[in-house]
Amino acid sequence: MNDDDLRRAFAELRRIESRAPKYAVPAPGRRLSRWRVGSVLAFALVLLLVVIGVAILPHHHPLQPSITEWRAPTDFLLKTPGHELLDSVPDLKGHVR
Amino acid sequence: MQPDELEQLHPASYAWSLACCRRDPVEAEEVLQDVYVKILEGKARFGGRSSLKTWLFAVIRRTAASRARKRIVRDLILARWARQRADTPAAEYSDTAAILLGALQKLARRQREVLELVFYHDMTIEEAAAALGVSIGSARVHYQRGKQRLLAQLDGKLDR
Repeated sequence: MNDDDLRRAFAELRRIESRAPKYAVPAPGRRLSRWRVGSVLAFALVLLLVVIGVAILPHHHPLQPSITEWRAPTDFLLKTPGHELLDSVPDLKGHVR
Repeated sequence: MQPDELEQLHPASYAWSLACCRRDPVEAEEVLQDVYVKILEGKARFGGRSSLKTWLFAVIRRTAASRARKRIVRDLILARWARQRADTPAAEYSDTAAILLGALQKLARRQREVLELVFYHDMTIEEAAAALGVSIGSARVHYQRGKQRLLAQLDGKLDR
């Protein structure tokens, strides 16, 4: 094995690989690699799914309670100890002579 | 630089791109397209300090290395796909070429690159050094050591 054998082996490799694809240059600034195209398509797909999801999902609008039924969330603060004595009329029948 | 000069060098450029992309034809084409766009957009400019072919080969090598770095994370995520890509090239080669490629893959990267530039692309060691961005002395050392290892690995295998 010497340099000539090496050259012959490389020549065979060169012959096999000599079928280069046709020379073609894309317009500058307009080329998108397959990876970039894939990224753009994936992003568009995700965006589409989000839009469809938002459009399809039912919207839950909570019913507004009537003003007569509405209770303030801080009502409990008004319930002081012994408030039942103040909220009711005491029964005095048994005690009046 | 004129586009027809690029076209003249296209077959050699493609072959070198293949060598820089582990013989992956799809990746080699992508690299070459990136290189042509860089040149035509003026991002890579030929300064005339070396031959056009040497400069072009250096741009191809840098672009391939850059794309390979970016691909690392992607290949880790898509490991299966990456393995399929690595397996694709071998089938089309003859026995001699396959043995040669197998032996080349066992060499250090610099040694492999210098030998491919000298034996495959008929460059001088000085031109190979310029294309690889290393000193001539360094290229000579890579050439000598790489050739010794390659000859030792091929000894007896190609004569059959």
